[in-house]
Amino acid sequence: MAAMGEAAPEVPPGVDPLYVAIVRFNRRDYGATIALCTQLLDAQPYDQAAWFLKTRALTMAVWIDDVEVDEEGVADALLDDNATASMPRPGTSLARPMTGAAAGGVNASVRPMSASGRPTTGFARPGTQSARPGTQSRGGTAGLAAAMGGGRLGTASRPMTSFGRLVRLGTASLAAAASGGAGGGPFIAVDRLDLRKYAERPTLARALFDYILYHDHNPKKALELAALATVATDFGEWWWKERLGKCYFQLGLLRDAEKQLRSSLAAQPTVLATLELARVYLRLDQPNAALDVYAKGADAFPHDVSLVVGQARTCDALNEGGRAVALYKRALALDATHVESLACLAAHHFYTDQPELALRFFRRLLQLGVSSTALWNNLALSCFYSAQYDLCLAAFERALALADDGEAGDVWYNVGQVAIGIGDLGLAYQAFKVAISVDTNHVESYANLGVLELRKGNLDAARANFQTVHEMAPHMFEPFFNGALLAFKLGDFQEAHDLASKAIGAFPEHHDSHELLRQLRQLFAHL
Amino acid sequence: MAPTGPATAARSNGPRERVNWLIHVNYVQQNYDHCLALIEEQLKMHNGLCEYPIYIKALIKRQRGEIQDSLQLFQAATCLNPNNINNLKQVGRSLYLLGKHKAALDVYKEAMRLNEEDWEVWHNQGLCQMYLKQYEKAIDCFKQANAIQQHDVTYIQLGKVYTLQEDFRAAIEVYLEALDFSPDNPEMLTTVGLLYLRLGENYRAFDFLGNSLTHDPKNPKTILAAGSIIQDHSDMDVALVKYRVAAVATPNSAQLWNNIGMCFFGKQRYVAAIACLKRALYLDPFEWIISYNLGLVHLNTGQYASAFHFFSSSINLKPDFPSSYMYLAITLSRLDDFDNACSAYEKAIEMEDDHLFELNFAITLYNNDEVEKAAEHFAKFEQLYAKLDDEAKSSDPEVAEQRQALAALLPAR
Repeated sequence: MAAMGEAAPEVPPGVDPLYVAIVRFNRRDYGATIALCTQLLDAQPYDQAAWFLKTRALTMAVWIDDVEVDEEGVADALLDDNATASMPRPGTSLARPMTGAAAGGVNASVRPMSASGRPTTGFARPGTQSARPGTQSRGGTAGLAAAMGGGRLGTASRPMTSFGRLVRLGTASLAAAASGGAGGGPFIAVDRLDLRKYAERPTLARALFDYILYHDHNPKKALELAALATVATDFGEWWWKERLGKCYFQLGLLRDAEKQLRSSLAAQPTVLATLELARVYLRLDQPNAALDVYAKGADAFPHDVSLVVGQARTCDALNEGGRAVALYKRALALDATHVESLACLAAHHFYTDQPELALRFFRRLLQLGVSSTALWNNLALSCFYSAQYDLCLAAFERALALADDGEAGDVWYNVGQVAIGIGDLGLAYQAFKVAISVDTNHVESYANLGVLELRKGNLDAARANFQTVHEMAPHMFEPFFNGALLAFKLGDFQEAHDLASKAIGAFPEHHDSHELLRQLRQLFAHL
Repeated sequence: MAPTGPATAARSNGPRERVNWLIHVNYVQQNYDHCLALIEEQLKMHNGLCEYPIYIKALIKRQRGEIQDSLQLFQAATCLNPNNINNLKQVGRSLYLLGKHKAALDVYKEAMRLNEEDWEVWHNQGLCQMYLKQYEKAIDCFKQANAIQQHDVTYIQLGKVYTLQEDFRAAIEVYLEALDFSPDNPEMLTTVGLLYLRLGENYRAFDFLGNSLTHDPKNPKTILAAGSIIQDHSDMDVALVKYRVAAVATPNSAQLWNNIGMCFFGKQRYVAAIACLKRALYLDPFEWIISYNLGLVHLNTGQYASAFHFFSSSINLKPDFPSSYMYLAITLSRLDDFDNACSAYEKAIEMEDDHLFELNFAITLYNNDEVEKAAEHFAKFEQLYAKLDDEAKSSDPEVAEQRQALAALLPAR
């Protein structure tokens, strides 16, 4: 951190050091501000202005936009006692999104599915990659295994523990606290403060509150202060209610959070409170309520992008692709440089047979200065499918140059895909092999290798590959169906039946699996 | 009839067959849960020593897809009564369903000893031989089965064996014989239609496919085959109507999208054609004909680089289709790569003698001022063209046009 041990800047003679500190604070030079205030407080321990400024500076130095990073911890997700219905109707719960074309959504055979049974999003954000345990009506142990496995299969990513990211951020702040105060101890010993006294002074209380919540990560203490402060303001202050809601949310008391945030919104509609309230509903697994909140907020603040994007994300999670796309477009009209909307729209166009449009969106992202493996990889694919062959390989080369170990497997997989597209099966085979050597758990590569082996006539190798995928990725229906078809052709109807049933479990509308099952049933019924 | 409670009949400790009738009734009414409860009670009462309940339990298990369990139960039933041929037959069938064809054959041999004149035993033996690729033996078995008793399934399997041996005529004969026997089996009608299609007898094929569609109007396979014939007679709108029916059932069939794409191509709507074909290619990248068709469309729209790409991938996937080489050659000549175009033409001609190859080669040669060689290939074209019948000659007016043009330009030999 920049603040640690930084020397206080020179103060020109005749200038008030506090003035310099304020200027530094406004320039977001928090380290210098803290050092200056520390000097001032050493000379005059009861200087309220210096104390206030130092508190603000310490808070701002570690401040994060916690509305955006909300990842559900594994304990919360597994022991979820907030869900209202165990078998909700489709479209009313995140655990049971709308399926198939009924919602204008996308089809699993066109757009690949993530491990949680939703179409892959165009933008990796918290929660899109990991499988939410318990969805897709999988058995309890399978859900647990999926939750413990973390996000991308096989990578070292750990599942989120109780407070999600806040815990790790908290550990970083311990170091800050150790050197924050002059004498080695923490700058403010919250436990020893008389919060009642501070609650009477509105300005100081707010600074102190933010310090406790963002710097100390102590929502319990913060809650105490906020509760006292609301009492002191006769329950009339929307700011305090909003912060109360935030504290309750962090403590997992979702219904209390909802109450406080609603009351805050009634007193004074704000974007932040709207976002937080929607977040509470999402955590309660009431996506439609969240959508209502977003919509009301968007009426009050028609030019705010975050509300529109929030709505779009929720629609995406409910598999309502059509609605989400309209919302992303609105977000782009409000903010033409919104990276997430661009990426999602690009993915949408790519998977609806419009690679040319996807290419334009990806190019726009490139112009915005985004340069990542994923983007170059997607550019390459769009180029290939829109017949711009000369650019395709160059883009793949860039992607490979930028890729780290986690992503190189994906890029090689796509190189293999393109190789299949130009009919060069040898190259495709090698690319998939490389993908597996980089990322031993790259299931899609195993699946495609299986198909290639099948074409070569190596039935046993194909079977082995399919089996690997069955174990590692029960959410993919293709390997199940391919395995079933292979077993059917070899005459092993028992295995064909089992695998075809699993394929249907992963993708209930797959016509070919149904047809296969029908034939099998006929065989079984025949005496 | 409402199912009677299991208690009434089973309480009294009578002879073993006492509730068999009840089990049977429940089984044929597909009242499986109730039936299983009854069976369990019986098995407990007689320490698992009753044949019929075990047999029925095994049948239920098989219908639920638990073949390994059902095999064990059938084996138990066989132990109880080794002289019942039904038990042996079911053991054999379970082994067959599990893919253990050799073991199944052994069991059927055992069953033959009990009864020689059972068509089922012969039929199932044929099935096992078919999976073991002993086609001659399989044919014998099926014929034996048919001699004892005639069944659709046996005919279908016999036809399948002939198809596997690529003896399509014999297969058709078998199916026709079966159709005498049961004239409105849509599956069989479709199969015959497809076989005629393979033999190139489109009119007959269409008869059978149309007949099959009257019985089962929504079968995607039949629609696809019938549509392709309609399409061949350039009746694109009718074909599209047919495909629309099929698309509801199989929206992700690459073959279907391929045919739809070619319908649009026939109607000169190139953008729609390319969109459909690209979707087909996305769904099945290994299908060479989609790449080939995409190449054709791009060649027609003058996008030669893309056309080249698709023809080359088509050739990569299926190197033994001569027309691909010819179109590749045309594409290359449009891209001004004369040398490679020539070698592609030569490759195509080497694989097959076709008047079109020679004609196009002659045109390309003439356009690149190789008049001598052009005349040579034109002469070859004339030879091949003379051999064609009138119908083939008049099918493509463009060929005649080009022929006249070249004949006027090239020096006569």
